[in-house]
Amino acid sequence: MATLDHPELRESLNTLLKNSRPKLERVLRNFEIPPEDAEDILQDAQLTLLYKWDKIRSPESWLIGTVKKKCIMYWRKRRGSLCEAVDTAILDLLAMPQAPDQEKKDLTCDLNRVLGRLSTRCRSLLKLRYGLGYGPTEVAEQMGYRTSSIRKVTNRCLAALTRQLLAVGFQKEVIALEEEPQDG
Amino acid sequence: MGSHLDLALLRKLGRGELSRSERWNLVRHLLSGCRQCIKLTARLLMPGGGAAREDLDYASSFARVKVDLERRQIDLATETDAALGLLRELLAEPFDRQRLLVAGDPRFRSWVLCEQLLETAHEAGFEDPIRALELARLGTEMAERLDPAAYGAAQLKDLAARAWAALGNAERIRSDFQAADNCFQKAEQLLKAGTGDPLEKARLYLLKISLLGAQQRFPEAFRLLDRVVTIGRKWKEPQLCGKALIARGLLCALADQQESVHRLLAEGLQLVDPAVEPRLVVCARHNLVVHLVEIGRYPEALHLLEETRPLYDRLKDRMNLLRLRWLEGKIALAQGDFKQAETLLLEVRRELIGQEIGYDAALASLDLARIYARQGRTHDMRPLAEEILEVFRSRQIPRETLTALIIFQKAAELEGVTVGLVHELSEYLQRAQKTSGPRFRATS
Repeated sequence: MATLDHPELRESLNTLLKNSRPKLERVLRNFEIPPEDAEDILQDAQLTLLYKWDKIRSPESWLIGTVKKKCIMYWRKRRGSLCEAVDTAILDLLAMPQAPDQEKKDLTCDLNRVLGRLSTRCRSLLKLRYGLGYGPTEVAEQMGYRTSSIRKVTNRCLAALTRQLLAVGFQKEVIALEEEPQDG
Repeated sequence: MGSHLDLALLRKLGRGELSRSERWNLVRHLLSGCRQCIKLTARLLMPGGGAAREDLDYASSFARVKVDLERRQIDLATETDAALGLLRELLAEPFDRQRLLVAGDPRFRSWVLCEQLLETAHEAGFEDPIRALELARLGTEMAERLDPAAYGAAQLKDLAARAWAALGNAERIRSDFQAADNCFQKAEQLLKAGTGDPLEKARLYLLKISLLGAQQRFPEAFRLLDRVVTIGRKWKEPQLCGKALIARGLLCALADQQESVHRLLAEGLQLVDPAVEPRLVVCARHNLVVHLVEIGRYPEALHLLEETRPLYDRLKDRMNLLRLRWLEGKIALAQGDFKQAETLLLEVRRELIGQEIGYDAALASLDLARIYARQGRTHDMRPLAEEILEVFRSRQIPRETLTALIIFQKAAELEGVTVGLVHELSEYLQRAQKTSGPRFRATS
């Protein structure tokens, strides 16, 4: 009835964890999870497995799938935090009325340098956002996107901007998604 | 922008914990093109920016997780040993006292006890729906009082979601669809903050699908069912796929898509293990019999019913046995054995009223009304019509359905109910249960 109420069930959980370790290590390595953060991912997945042991029929594939999913979420969250920070900071920097002219000029120059590496559509979208201070609805109207999809498109462009800012590559398929917004 | 970024600051960024001014400084510094800090940021926040894959060493992570998990296994085993006694102690008390114990006595706050309580609530749904409701409510109260440090915050959200879904299901069984809706909303909110386990989500969806079916919200129910099937296939859970097929069969029956019902239920039954899910097997077979009755294949229906009877008897679930008698009453009615049908239906209706399952009691009353109409017993029809109207009036039903029932009640009051009118009303309500908003015309 309840979780792990028999010693043999406990034993089978331990055997599963032991046997699946090489696969789990491979997943963590493929996703390039830093070892200091891998512990949280593993602990969270294994703890959930422990509590739901009697409700999961294919525990090994559940465990591997869950760790994969958590790895994706890990990078999504990190990228999301960075993208959000980049976006709000740029908006703040540009909106600062007391900023000296030279500072604003330097900022615009640095920003244009990064924007220049993006696709035309992303560049146009972000210029409307940063250069003219347009809100999401106005950006959608100007660029012919549906209002419902503008958030997703903007996030893709922000991700591309952030990637260029850091001058490193995401995985190829992610780059393709970000550089060519498909909605609208 | 002279000072370089440090690791602590970037970790805070990764967790979304930076203040506005800290973000401002960080991004301005990156925009200036500082190579050293760009590299550091990339390593922490982007895949592909850190150490080479082969250099990543997870040995110490696995070792620490193993130690932690072993400790939790011991804790859980200790909980399991105590849970059965605690559950007995709790269940021996009246409901108000149970709530006080859960609120005030730390012994009654454990993961295993909460799970056992929810399973007991689920089983009570087949025996005693009022008790099921109380136990599920107690489950929600217990889940919300468990210690996140001991069990994990996200894991507890999953458990709380399961408890609210159990409560929603208990409300659905008692035909309080609005209350059930609210519970499922709460359950879904909790699940969003949980571990993200797709199987937990699928289990919640399956319970919600039953509610959507009862509310005739078929497009939503079918959409949700597709998601359950996707999860079942992706996560290699044939049992879940079987449950989804059975649920689809039941929905098709309700939505008047009779041509698929038999195939879906039969296919679903093949995937579900009766040893693991005996109640689901009984439910699927029961509904298969109902379907066969509805399409007039009585010999097959009776054959399957006899084949399933040992399973009904083995489980001894009061509600399942009650539904079995209701089904036997319907078959007797369809075959013209009015005496037997009336005995069975009166008994069923009495028990449904006793269990406060108003909607089903009213439906059983309608089956009785069909007997009275055929026998011309207008004097028996009058109280029955009033009772049916009262029950339906207290539910969220379409205005047209209510209008139809009022016409029926007025006709009964005037002793003007004819066989034709009851027949039309019965047909109409059956359609109304299966599809949304058919037109009712009192032609008689």
